[in-house]
Amino acid sequence: MPREAEPSANEKAFLLKALQDEQIRLDGREFDQYRPLELTFGDEYGVANVSLGKTKILAKASAEVTVPFADRPLDGIFTIATELSPMAAPHFEVNRPTETEVLLSRLLEKTVRRSGALDTESLCLVAGQKCWSVRVDVHVLSHDGNLTDAACFAVVAALRHFRKPDTSMENGVLTVYTPAEREPVPLGWLHSPFCVTWSFFGEEGETALLDADWMEEQVRVASVTISLNRHGEICQIAKLGGVPVEAVALLQCTSVALTKVKEFSTYLDDKLAEDAKRRDKGGFMAELRAENDRIVG
Amino acid sequence: MPLDTSAYSLALLRVDGRRWNELRRIHAQIRTQAAADGSSYLEMGHTKVMCVVNGPSEPGPRRGATSGGGGGGGQSKNAEVAVNIVIAGFSSVDRKRRGRGDKHILELQSTISQALAASLHTHLFPHSTINISLHVLSQDGSLLAALINAATLACVDAGIPMTDYVAACTAGSTSTYAANDEGADPLLDMNHQEEQELPGLTVATLGDSDRVAVLVCESRVQVSRLEGMLAVGVDGCKQVREILDRVVREKGIKMIQEGTVERGVGLNDMELD
Amino acid sequence: MASTQHVLLSPAELAYLHASLSLTPPIRPDGRSPTQFRPLVAETGILPGTNGSARICFADGTEAIVGVKAEVERTRTRHDFPSLDESAEDDDDLDDNQNEVIKGDNDWVEMTVEIPGYRDDDAGTVFLSAMLSEALLADGEFTKRLWINQRFHWKLYLDILLISPPLSYPLPLLSLTTHLALLAARLPRLKSEGDEDPLFDDDWAAAPYLYPRPSEKGSKATAPAPAAARPPVTLLVMAVGNNIIFDPSKEELAVADVALAVSVGESSSSTTSTTSSKPTAMDIDTEETKGHNLRLLSVRTIDPPSRLTPPGIPNASNSAYGANAGAKDAEKKKQQQEQARTAESEAVEGVWKAPRGGAKTLVMATMVQKVLEKGGVADEVLDALDGVDLN
Repeated sequence: MPREAEPSANEKAFLLKALQDEQIRLDGREFDQYRPLELTFGDEYGVANVSLGKTKILAKASAEVTVPFADRPLDGIFTIATELSPMAAPHFEVNRPTETEVLLSRLLEKTVRRSGALDTESLCLVAGQKCWSVRVDVHVLSHDGNLTDAACFAVVAALRHFRKPDTSMENGVLTVYTPAEREPVPLGWLHSPFCVTWSFFGEEGETALLDADWMEEQVRVASVTISLNRHGEICQIAKLGGVPVEAVALLQCTSVALTKVKEFSTYLDDKLAEDAKRRDKGGFMAELRAENDRIVG
Repeated sequence: MPLDTSAYSLALLRVDGRRWNELRRIHAQIRTQAAADGSSYLEMGHTKVMCVVNGPSEPGPRRGATSGGGGGGGQSKNAEVAVNIVIAGFSSVDRKRRGRGDKHILELQSTISQALAASLHTHLFPHSTINISLHVLSQDGSLLAALINAATLACVDAGIPMTDYVAACTAGSTSTYAANDEGADPLLDMNHQEEQELPGLTVATLGDSDRVAVLVCESRVQVSRLEGMLAVGVDGCKQVREILDRVVREKGIKMIQEGTVERGVGLNDMELD
Repeated sequence: MASTQHVLLSPAELAYLHASLSLTPPIRPDGRSPTQFRPLVAETGILPGTNGSARICFADGTEAIVGVKAEVERTRTRHDFPSLDESAEDDDDLDDNQNEVIKGDNDWVEMTVEIPGYRDDDAGTVFLSAMLSEALLADGEFTKRLWINQRFHWKLYLDILLISPPLSYPLPLLSLTTHLALLAARLPRLKSEGDEDPLFDDDWAAAPYLYPRPSEKGSKATAPAPAAARPPVTLLVMAVGNNIIFDPSKEELAVADVALAVSVGESSSSTTSTTSSKPTAMDIDTEETKGHNLRLLSVRTIDPPSRLTPPGIPNASNSAYGANAGAKDAEKKKQQQEQARTAESEAVEGVWKAPRGGAKTLVMATMVQKVLEKGGVADEVLDALDGVDLN
């Protein structure tokens, strides 16, 4: 099993000394400052490309019609698949989930799926027989720390950008329309949760940083990932062990996280609006729709 | 879920008759098994877990799905804390079998491993492994908390030097996730029914400080509820720590009285009566 | 797996063990007699959430917990060809009544064994679970108890957990614990009749045991209570030389010439004791109640670690002893190897060598005989387990 290369003792000491004595991060950011977050959408619906500094993540949403699970006949299926390939960092292996990958996929699962961000009931087509299965594939293209926040942002962006083919039910016949016949429809979306990860440094975790890069992640003594939406609802908190941190500090982290989440939320809304404007070719789509409407008869 | 917890507002009693700040009965034993270096049995209400600790020892051939933390592999200068959880098929009401690759179990293993690695003095045992194996016999909420407590007790029994107890419990809130009602009460130590319906979190603290080693929240809840829940949870952890400490002391006194161990110098402050 | 784990004993220690176990009578390291079991602590009914549960703790600290959980399951209607072994049974049933056929299916029992540190698809774990379920399902009587009606049956899940690390081969421990858990297992009383959807009594106190108890002590005088059937017990027996030793510890197992897992069941004397059981079955009542009516269910050989010890590298080919001295020494080296080989096959006083070849049939037969004989070990074990309070 290839092991991740650890930073040298000098590097570690330098980083910690800079942090604790000089209050300076290696890349000169403020403690609660994110690296520049960039989001671009693909030509297709449901493809989101997120970069956070050197961390790059591609998320792609897709949908197909399947049979719902027997125990949940009224719900559609929603899965998030994560893949950390050797492309992202040399110590990842194919087909062998590392702890990082397991924890990442659990976090995304809890943040997006279990918090009910996607209305799975709206994915049901015929109770117990047909439903949409929505799947998001998360590919880590480049790993430079803070995969969680970037991946979560990418997943939410991809899902909100995604359009699934329109369907209709008439006399028990289910019709799925191609994009040419009917404009695809967005998913039933309830709220947009985002992850914010704090990393702690020092003997008692007294220094807290946002958006740690890979080097900082290797040196940190504990971390907490807080998932919130802009309405101030916590969807998930995960401080999975590590050096104990004062409870009050955690509360402060949460309130700072809330402001960050609101920023993310606005940024995503702006980007979506921008993309919608770019796609709206005005007359052309409108014309298509009118033509389709006339066919009925 | 049409379960009636709304009755809480009438009598301020929960489904099992507790008040908001009451723990369930915690029963614990240490040194339950002769073969292991350390062992414990812990009940929190109807949640029952057993823990067996072996080590610190030379790392054997890696087998099974163990999850390491606190320094990767046996080659590092810190001991590796390897946790293995078996959730018995008969532990819940409906038999549900989980494979060893189950992500939820892997997450639990990793959490416990990381939490203990921060409290245990792993730097004293380079190139070695501390094997913690946990068995869940019965589940009724607060599973992670019970696992952490049992693991802590077993590590104490195994005589592995540690900073302090890592004590854990759960806290919840009577508000539903959507409502932002200010009148909602925090609740201590959730059982399975409450966990299904109400938002809640698991807290583990180090000793009787307010320092949080583990904080896991898996349900939607208003940010404003967090402070109350966390405060109650941290307070509950202190109560749990007292109980764990009593268990250890009672066992220690008993062992001295039975003559299994000699009365050491460090034990002078212990009252033997 | 557990039987093959390495015991850190030197050849001299092994030789000493082997020699003392070969004496008549053998001297065991812990001073037990050859047929004596290690002391154990047992309790049942520890988990109210299960249909039956048991925990056994051996004196060496190995501990196991078994939980039995039952679920109602719809019986799959089987189409046309029944499997071979059932066709005989079918023939008998055809002439009496079609709709009163009580049949069982081995799929109705699911057994899982969890050994800490071992994957559940590890060969050793699978082998253990196969041995345990084989003994349970061997006579086809057990699954009949799970029959509810034509359309439904109980599906029984047996979860066997070894709590401690496997210090000695855990088979006897797991088997005894399973035995107790099954004895303590109860299924809700059926209230519905015939083939309707099953409806059960809520009253747990009224729930009958899976293995019905012999009637109350008071009535013993009137009715010669038929010894109730019981779940099987699998015992580990090993032989060193001509000595047969029961319940071997890990160290003893390391020098075993042969080790057997013998599964023994008890048949309810009134019904099935026609041919398969010992001819003494039709004896006088007094003797009948005393001893158990034992039947041999299965015998499996267990590979003792000695059989799996890799033969060491002779010094001649060990580079540490200058095996790669050069090509011109090839002749000399060959000679050395020859010598090494003869040295290896010769017995040396005080140095133990793994036995070669199979076990003697006579020894095997005696081992099985010893288990089954009246007042023998299986009898004793079952008596001892009778003493466990079932609640």
